[in-house]
Amino acid sequence: MLRFLLRRSLGAVAILLIISAVTFFLFYAIPRNPALLACGKSCTPDQLAIVERNLGIDDPVPVQYWDYMTGIFAGRDFPAGDCPAPCLGYSFTNNQPVLDTILDRLPTTVSLTLGGAVVFLTLGLAFGMLAAWHRGTLLDKTMSSASLVLSSLQIYFIGPLALAVFVYNDGDFHLFSQPEYVPFTEDPGGWFAGLLLPWLVLSTIFTANYTRMARAELIEQLQEDHVRTARAKGMSRSTVFFRYAWRGSLIPVVTIFGIDLGSLFGGAMITEVTFTLPGLGRLAVDSVTQSNLPMLMGVMLFAALMIVLFNILVDACYALIDPRVRLA
Amino acid sequence: MVPSETRTAEAGPVGRSPGQLIWRRFRRDRVGVISGFVVLFFFVVGLCAPLISKLYGKDPYTRYGQIEPGLLNGFGYPVKPNGGIDGEFWFGLEPFLGRDVFTQLLYGIRTSLLIALAVTVLATLTGILLGIAAGYLGGRWDFLISRFIDLLMAFPQQLFFVAFLPIVATLFVDPREETPTWVRVVSIVVVLWVLGWMTLGRILRGATLALREREFVEAAKVSGASPWRVIRKELLPNVVSPVLVQATYMLPNFVTTAAALSFLGVGLVEPTPDWGRMFAIGAEVYEADITYMFFPGVSMVIFVVAFNLLGDSVRDAFDPKSGRR
Repeated sequence: MLRFLLRRSLGAVAILLIISAVTFFLFYAIPRNPALLACGKSCTPDQLAIVERNLGIDDPVPVQYWDYMTGIFAGRDFPAGDCPAPCLGYSFTNNQPVLDTILDRLPTTVSLTLGGAVVFLTLGLAFGMLAAWHRGTLLDKTMSSASLVLSSLQIYFIGPLALAVFVYNDGDFHLFSQPEYVPFTEDPGGWFAGLLLPWLVLSTIFTANYTRMARAELIEQLQEDHVRTARAKGMSRSTVFFRYAWRGSLIPVVTIFGIDLGSLFGGAMITEVTFTLPGLGRLAVDSVTQSNLPMLMGVMLFAALMIVLFNILVDACYALIDPRVRLA
Repeated sequence: MVPSETRTAEAGPVGRSPGQLIWRRFRRDRVGVISGFVVLFFFVVGLCAPLISKLYGKDPYTRYGQIEPGLLNGFGYPVKPNGGIDGEFWFGLEPFLGRDVFTQLLYGIRTSLLIALAVTVLATLTGILLGIAAGYLGGRWDFLISRFIDLLMAFPQQLFFVAFLPIVATLFVDPREETPTWVRVVSIVVVLWVLGWMTLGRILRGATLALREREFVEAAKVSGASPWRVIRKELLPNVVSPVLVQATYMLPNFVTTAAALSFLGVGLVEPTPDWGRMFAIGAEVYEADITYMFFPGVSMVIFVVAFNLLGDSVRDAFDPKSGRR
């Protein structure tokens, strides 16, 4: 297990290094000059030189990349101030350290993701099991059709729709309160009420996908030889279902769940924009529209870190679920 | 239909090519045929958008609500209920600008399908090329291509799209100048293409790896066929099914992703009509006029559902064993 973790961590570091380099060079090298983007449409050469010096981009790009990477591991000095060890630079727009802003936005994204994940994992698995157990019946067919349609919905469609119906309707009764982020430590009730609608909208599509996936996997597992053997020697249907088929169907579910969690932790962009929640996704979109490259670079690295981290976690989980898997 | 059946009965067993068998299986799948027609309908609508709007007598650019008095109220919203739907404006009027929603949607579907189709073709070709190269050449090539796929898969997808779209656009034009529409379209296509081919590439690598060891491939090699001929004549015909199935799953995905980019404000900009940007406008006006969002939203759900059902049917037609369970 330790060797596995060590080997995979080295691989992850390699991937992150490549991603950081690719992102950095594309950001700073290809658009002839990021200062042009930051400086705006009416920019004189003198202004441009000042902007370049302020942004710390008057060096050649490889030198800048080296500075950026050493900044992450050893910290670096900026005109704006000292930036200690994991230094991701300073924002182009408000001169705040990038890392502070990311850490500031992180709780929103984490709350949104965790709450949504609890809803869609529980409901998705439950519905999938129900459909597989009652396979071929009216219930199964209804649930399969419903999940097909629901999984084809888009958050940018049902989000505003839900807001219009439940929050901003003309009547006196509002089923949900206005979506907002209140820190859990300040007011757990407000935290829950403010995030409830985003959780439900986010998990509608995911729940439908997980229902479809869990159902298909369970039905496949139920056709395996060992399941038939267990049934033939007299084991009850429910024991076989829960002890053998369910466990066997977990591996693909865990794989997808890991991928989904990893990408959601990097920022649930559309959900955050729809419900105007100040998370990492919104931060990324705002940095793009403001051409705030250091911020974007920071969010990109963080999101990539989450993806590789969850990939490793998923592989480690295989060993827990399937005793045949040996990690090495 | 009937004459051919009787002829079959008279002449005894008739050999059918795999293509004919697949077509027969597909034709018998009612859900598949219906969803095929729905998908076709969307493509026809997109293709004929100029013709339809000519017959209908409006275009997606004119601000009818601002020209003709009495259509929009003082706040900029349609005067008539339900977003201003009537005999003249079938799907209502856009709030503030007062453009016709029906033609906007027609042209929006046209733009989105054009982009999605281009990306699907490019991604499919790339997937075929790199997937088969990795599987057939093996060794160092396989290692390189597989690691490349791993790397691209570790990229945060949405973030990548949102972040690199403006950068790709500056490849073509100076950031200080106005970006022409074709540059925006090309940038969207490029960005979606770069991260769109890996799943197909991986599937084809696996399929080629298995096919490479089969006797008919070895026989072709022994009889002196060049690698190019082996790939063209022996491998490609055997991977048609995963390619087609993946492509049918890809296209609606690209439509919704491109729409999401427009929703986030980095896709196509005014005045180009775009399916996805209608959601961005809808998200601004939903509190007072939810009807505006209704038509683009419902049509997109129908499109995606039909395309996914079509994908399942294509898969079943090619591989009856996989069957819908």
